[in-house]
Amino acid sequence: MDAVLAARLAAGDDYALAEVFDALAHSVYGSAVRVLGDNSAAQDVVQDVFVELWTHPDRYDPAAGTLRTYLTVLARHRAVDVIRSELRRVARQERSWRLTPAPPSAGAGDEMVAAETASLVRAAVKLLPASQRQVVELAYFKGLTCREVAHAAGIPEGTAKSRLRLAMAKLEELLDHQLLESS
Amino acid sequence: MTAADPDPRVLPAGLRDRVLAASLRARAVGRPVPDAPEIPPAEAFSRAVSAFEAALSFLSDDEWGTPVLRGLDVQGLVGHLIGVEDDVQRALAADPEVAGASHVESTQSAATAQATRPPARTRADWRAAVDRTLDRVRSADSRAQVALHGLRLSVRTLLVVRAFELWTHENDIRQAVGWAPSVPDPSTLRLMTDLAARLLPLAGATLDDSVDVHLVLTGPGGGTWDVTVGGHPPATEAVAIVTDAVGFCRLAANRIAPADLDVSVTGDPGRAAAVLATAATLALD
Repeated sequence: MDAVLAARLAAGDDYALAEVFDALAHSVYGSAVRVLGDNSAAQDVVQDVFVELWTHPDRYDPAAGTLRTYLTVLARHRAVDVIRSELRRVARQERSWRLTPAPPSAGAGDEMVAAETASLVRAAVKLLPASQRQVVELAYFKGLTCREVAHAAGIPEGTAKSRLRLAMAKLEELLDHQLLESS
Repeated sequence: MTAADPDPRVLPAGLRDRVLAASLRARAVGRPVPDAPEIPPAEAFSRAVSAFEAALSFLSDDEWGTPVLRGLDVQGLVGHLIGVEDDVQRALAADPEVAGASHVESTQSAATAQATRPPARTRADWRAAVDRTLDRVRSADSRAQVALHGLRLSVRTLLVVRAFELWTHENDIRQAVGWAPSVPDPSTLRLMTDLAARLLPLAGATLDDSVDVHLVLTGPGGGTWDVTVGGHPPATEAVAIVTDAVGFCRLAANRIAPADLDVSVTGDPGRAAAVLATAATLALD
């Protein structure tokens, strides 16, 4: 059945797209809501998922699993991407505020989200190995440049860069894990 | 989840329309994915010629005498195609005599003339005739109209019809000598399916009851078409027909019956059957 739907989608059959939406949109939406807990963002994820299915139907392999599983996993990944993107934005914003003498005032809601996200990031940073945690704290919480981080930590600049790269990769992994567990 | 969180069991109002509209903006209805590279009809004809010639090259002299179609053996069928090439060249030269001529009768003398000749000579004559057609086509305006065998069509449509015809006869020969059927490359097949789908309304012009058809042809070279078959405004709901692209081309060539086609229908089965019967009358061979 899913193989027939996939073949119809590949043939550009808009009736098939509507059929898939009617049958599976609840599951896709539910998957997004469980990660995001936000109606508007979850709707955006549902749209992304169905646009992806319609524009690249060949990425779904019926032999690998059901269409329901494919779409709900895709929705979960997209929802996690939304959170990751938000975390990066907040981290950039926080660093920018620390470097700017008079930061622009944010709305109460924005401040709350930023504070919650920053707290998530800080919790994840604590799980990093000491050498990586040190460079992250210097760069992101004290706002130092890479050269200044190297000087403060007493390590070569190349080592500081490499530790930062490793730390950011580990941080993303930790945050993903945290988000997937909570979904 | 808190009391303020959205209920995942309830889909927000308007989401369906919003998602479907965004999807159709990102990819138009009907275009297959992955899409076959677009080729000009002359290239499709040329590829069909190459496939036909390859099949002929594997025939033994004995196999040239295998009965194939309408009382013709393989050699007679190739003779028929020599006659068709001659008529096509005359049509391209605006010869009015071929405009209303019968596809079979006007080529019968060319078919029977091969009976006592060596197969290699017939094959060489057919190839020379095809080359003359290709020469004429290169200098023709692809949008110009030609009249041939009761049809009036553009040069580009004529070339797709000819690709259809050569593929069909290649498979007539393959079936006669016990070989597996061949499938056109996706680019050629896409032109063939598009031709068959667009000709459906013309073939069904005499139907008493018109019907809106949502035709979905799956597999490489497929696509989706919405056409009205029949001469009157449809009074009933649309019929959706889903079938394999190659199978539909065999139906349009009148080489399989509608009952032999693996098809999925949504809507009135009787109307769908009438549409498929109409497709078989296209007889694109």
